[in-house]
Parts: sequence; structure tokens; C-alpha cells
Amino acid sequence: MDILIQILVTGLTLGAMYALASVGLALIFGTLGMFNMAHGLFMTIGAYAAFSLSGYLGLVLPVGLLIAMAAGALIGVLTHLLIVRFMLTGPNFETNVMVATAGLAILLQDVLLKIFGAYPFTQPVKVEGTIRLAGVAITLQSVVIVAVALVLISAIAFLLLRTRFGMTIRATAMNREAAELMGVRTTRVYLQVMGLAGALAGAAGLMISSLTTLSPQMGGDPLLKAFVICVVAGLGNVWGAGICAFALGLLEATVQFEFGVRFGFPVMLLLVILVLVWRPQGLFGRERVVRL
Amino acid sequence: MSDSQPKAPSRRKFLKTMGISAGSTAMLAGLNQSASAQSSEPVKIGCPAPLTGIVAADGIEFRRGLEMAAEEINAVGGILGRPVELVFVDTESKGDDVVIQAAQRLIDRDKASALVLGYNLETGTALHDVAADSGIVAMHSNTVVAHDELVRSDPEKYWGIFQYDPPETFYGIGFLDFVKGLEDRGEFTRPNNKIAIITGPGTYSTNIANAIKDNADKYGLEVSLFESVNVPISEWGPTLAKVRADEPAIIAVTHFYAADQAQFMNQFMSQPTNSLVYMQYGASLAAFRDIAGVNSEGVIYATVIGALQDEIGSGFAEKYVGKFGDTSSPNGGGQTYQALHAYAVAAALAGGPGEPYEEDRNRMVADRLRNLIYRGPMGTMRINPDGQSAFCYPSQTNDPSLGMPHIFSQIQDKAVGGVLIAPSPYDVGAFKLPSWMKA
Repeated sequence: MDILIQILVTGLTLGAMYALASVGLALIFGTLGMFNMAHGLFMTIGAYAAFSLSGYLGLVLPVGLLIAMAAGALIGVLTHLLIVRFMLTGPNFETNVMVATAGLAILLQDVLLKIFGAYPFTQPVKVEGTIRLAGVAITLQSVVIVAVALVLISAIAFLLLRTRFGMTIRATAMNREAAELMGVRTTRVYLQVMGLAGALAGAAGLMISSLTTLSPQMGGDPLLKAFVICVVAGLGNVWGAGICAFALGLLEATVQFEFGVRFGFPVMLLLVILVLVWRPQGLFGRERVVRL
Repeated sequence: MSDSQPKAPSRRKFLKTMGISAGSTAMLAGLNQSASAQSSEPVKIGCPAPLTGIVAADGIEFRRGLEMAAEEINAVGGILGRPVELVFVDTESKGDDVVIQAAQRLIDRDKASALVLGYNLETGTALHDVAADSGIVAMHSNTVVAHDELVRSDPEKYWGIFQYDPPETFYGIGFLDFVKGLEDRGEFTRPNNKIAIITGPGTYSTNIANAIKDNADKYGLEVSLFESVNVPISEWGPTLAKVRADEPAIIAVTHFYAADQAQFMNQFMSQPTNSLVYMQYGASLAAFRDIAGVNSEGVIYATVIGALQDEIGSGFAEKYVGKFGDTSSPNGGGQTYQALHAYAVAAALAGGPGEPYEEDRNRMVADRLRNLIYRGPMGTMRINPDGQSAFCYPSQTNDPSLGMPHIFSQIQDKAVGGVLIAPSPYDVGAFKLPSWMKA
């Protein structure tokens, strides 16, 4: 029983971090059809923003979370205004924007390196302490990470499904021209989606850094995992990404316990291969249907 | 290149700067005063270092150590009147390909007379061919037996490549001997005979883990868990679940990244087992204590190249922390600091270093280095001609003045570095049972 709880806690914590990282990535792909290679840096910037301001303000977690999300949203918006919007209507958008955001990631990483150096700082914006469940100690920060992920993903779900704003995003994702004919200002929608995804990335960065450390490279590994999850779920499928993130987190924790830690990620990659062979459109993807 | 007389430092400046490395700096100053400089061109020292990426905490210290040593050397007139100039290339915590390119660039573009570095995340012998083919001296602390094997395979080719600390093979047996010593002195009684070994994927970590595993039974220990982890790793839940399911008397973490080790302790301490926790090298860095905080207290770590806590080592550490701040690590910076000082003395004794491809001159520097017994803040560097690594005390010599000590420390207060608890005569404190263990 103890072991089952420990695996569950680890799996849910990993899943929550993966979900926060992958949902934003899926949202951008679903709406703009672009793979944002700078998404990992959006996470990193969110984490560093909370870290930096905590030194001045002694931030509590909710405020730190808002700052991380604001920083992520800001960098998302700026990325759109300064780079993406100029490429949207050009030829080979998907390839060009991937290269451009990869370049942006390198640039942002170097800027962070210049400002903060490479020292592995610890994230002060987190919750200390443990609770006990059936004799197993669970850190409060793990609980917070899962809670934040569930709240934010639920909020995104509500936003996309129950609001007019969400409807415009879905309409744009389904058919940009048709949405414009219906009066949707799609360029604004793209801007909003970049901001929204950036905010999610900022939150993910704060949560991830609370369990690891801050470094300019900290977004690389989560971006890779988020990409794997998005492929398994079906690129651009927001709900699928959330579900797959938790499922893969639990799978990884189980594999690590049963077969060894070193087999966790290889099994995830094996799963990607199997999914791509069996269902190239992903577990939740649909062929020839614009997904969201 | 213009000729000029070497600059002799003023007595006041000399006394001010000689500080803790008094012996070697004084020797260098003496050589500088008595020599006629051939040139005032700087001596370029190249350093490929992991200044970013997962082991950047170490890379930053390697750079600081070199900067501090270069300042001191230049303050007494450089190497025979030629100032030392450092050139760094970031290897980004990456592997052989990046290290090879970095080393080649330092030699061909920057005309480095020597490469003096700490370790990189490569196979341990990446820069050997680059340096050997360029006819320069290279000094590293990769801490791998692969270095010895390669040098031994072709000593004529690798005459200038030195590992200025002992190879990692001494760690495994040394650790088991250390535990036995604690038990013999009644300082530790194992609650059972199990040992859990957690290693990273690299050769260094794996070799140490295998040495512990292969010799555990000789010390009456049974390996209850042998786990290899991917790096970087922040979520230790599955590994800790196994540890908690079958509590060992000893946990040996040979995966050596400070940040990962700190996260291990943070998660271990939420529900600790009655186990002695040993961590390889990473816990010696200030970043470990910074991240793990109070959870770092009680951890034992070892290194074959760490700052001693005697007059020389403590003096260095004090000056180093004073210069670079509380989050700096003399254990990391001391490596390159000591290496550059040793190189400077050897180069001065040899009549000055050569440029790349000036093999005859650089061979003279290597010969001096090979015969040098250099005492710095990390202990004595004496090169074993068979493999060109430093001798290890006490594993290879029972004379502490003739080998680099394999030191064991315990963090007893997170605010300060670990207390050196073995071997004698360098120990300054006694082992304390960690707070999470039952007496």
C-alpha cells in the first residue's frame, strides 16, 4: 500500500508538471499550427521572474504564480508581435516558425545566462512541509503542483468551451477563413492564444523549478517531454495532452519502480513509436479534422 | 614579440599576494627574479569548462580557481616575466565532440601554451589526442582510470597529458574502508548488512558503483539495491520507494551532480530510513547545501581532490570565499587553482612554456611537472609516472606528504562546508550520527 501511494504521488506530480508544459504547447499547435520551440524558454522565464521578484517582495506562492504567468504571457505576446505574425501568411509557415522560435530560444537562453549566470539557484517561491497519507509522507509542494495543474487546466477547459472567447479560438483553429468571415479577428485570437500558452508555460516553469533548480537550460527537458506527450495525444489536442500527461507520468513512475529508473523515458519514447505506427494522428487525434 | 626584463614584484606586494600558497608563489617569485625574460608576451592558458548546463556549478568554480591563481601568479611576475592570460571556452556540460572542438579552438585560435581545466562531461580522454597532437601540456581532473590506461598504452604520444588527481577506482574501496574504520572505532553500528547503490549513467559514477558492489561482500555487506538513474533527475520517488521498501544500512549515491543529490536529500528527508547516506563529490559543493538546506546536514561525501582544512587549505578557502562570495566552493575552484600554480612552477623551472607545436620546449615543462611534488590547498600532487595521474593517499602511499588525500567529510552545519573527518592527519572533526538515524 505504501509503495502504491508513493508511485501514485510521483506519477501524479510528474503528470501535473508534464500537463502544464504540454497543454500550452498543444494549444498553440492546435490554433496556429506551429510547434513553438521557445516554449521551454517561456517556462524558464516564468520561473526566473518569480525567483527574481521574490528577492524583493518575499513572494507567497499565489502571487509568485501570478507573476510567473504574467511573465510567460508577456513573452508569448512579444513573440507573436515581433516574430510570429510576420510569418503567418508566408510560405512554409510551419517550418519557418519552428526555426525562428528555435533561434529565439537560443537567444533567450543566452540572455538569461548573461543576467543570472549558470548557478543552480533554488526556487524560493514554494510551499514547505509534508502531510501523511496512510503512513506515507507527501510533500506539500507535490500537492500544490497537482492542484495548480488541475485548476489551470480546468480553467482553460472552461475558457475554451464555455466562453465567447473560447469559441473564437475554436473557430479560428477549425477554419481561419471561415472564422474571419464570421467576424472573428483572427490575428487578435492568435495573440491571445500566445499569451495564454505563455501564461501556462510560466506556471509550469515555476512548478518545475520548485522541484528542481533554476538554470537557463531548465526548460529543455520539459519541452522534450511535452513534445512526446503532444505526439502521443495527437498534435494540437489540448484535452488529449492533459490526459496523456497524467497517464504518462503514472506510467513513467510505475516503470521506474518496477523495472528501474533508467527505463522510464525510453519506455515513453517506445510508446511514441508504437503510437505513430498504430495511430499516426495520435491517441486523441482525428484524421483530416482540425483538432483542438 | 618584444624582449624585456621580468618585472620583479615589490616586497610589499609580494607579501600581500603570496598568502596561502606561500611556498609555491615564493618559489615562482624567486625564479622570476633570477631569470631573464625571453618575452613579455602573455602565456595563454586555455580552459574548456562546463560553464553552462547541468554541471555549471562546477564549471564556474573551475573558472574562478584559475582566475584567482592567475592573479596571484601575475602579481609575482607571471611565468618568468610573462603574464598568464586565461582563455575559456564553454563546453556546455556536453560530451566529447564539444570538448574536442573547444580544445582545438583554444590551441589553434588562441595559441594556448597549455590546457588547464577541471573535468568535463566527456568520456575522460576526449582532449588527449588534441593536446598530444599539438605538442602541449594538458592538466585535467576528469578522475577516470581511462586516462591512466590511455597514457600507459602510448606514453611516447601522451607525454604531456596529466590527471592531477587520482583516478576514480580508489573511491569504491576507499569508501568501504572508511565505513569499516567508523565501525572499528565504534562510531557507527550498521542496523543491518544491506547497502543500496545509486549510480548515474557515466563511466565515473558507474565505475565507483561497481567497485563498491564488487567488494561489498568482503566487508560483510549485501547489495539490496543497485539502481542506475537518468540525468538530470529531480523526481526520486520510485527510487526512494525501493529504498524504503527494503531499508539499507548504507545508501551510496555515486551519481555526482550536486543539484540532483540535493533533491535526493530533500525527498529522502520527508521520510528518512535508518541509513547512512554517502554522496559522491557533488555534496562537496556549496550548491548542494544551498539547495538541500538543512536536509544536507548529516550527509557524508568524499573526494580525491578537495580543499583540506589545515593551514594551507583553510587559508585558501577563506580567501576564495572572501573573493567570490558565500555560494562559492573552494572544493571546486581549488582544483584548477592548484593545477595552474603547479603548472606555473613547472614552466618556470623548465625555462618557460612553449607555444602549440613547440614540442621540445613543452616536453621540458612536462618533465618538470612529472617530477614535481607540489603541495597546495588540495594536498600533495605527485604524479605517478605509470599513467600520469596523481598518487592517492592512503590507497597508494601511506605517506600523506606524497599523495593526494582521499578525504571524507560530513556536513554538520549547512551554513559552513563539511567537516573533514578522515583520513588522518587531515581530519579536523569526528563523525556524528545523522539526526535521522537511530543511535
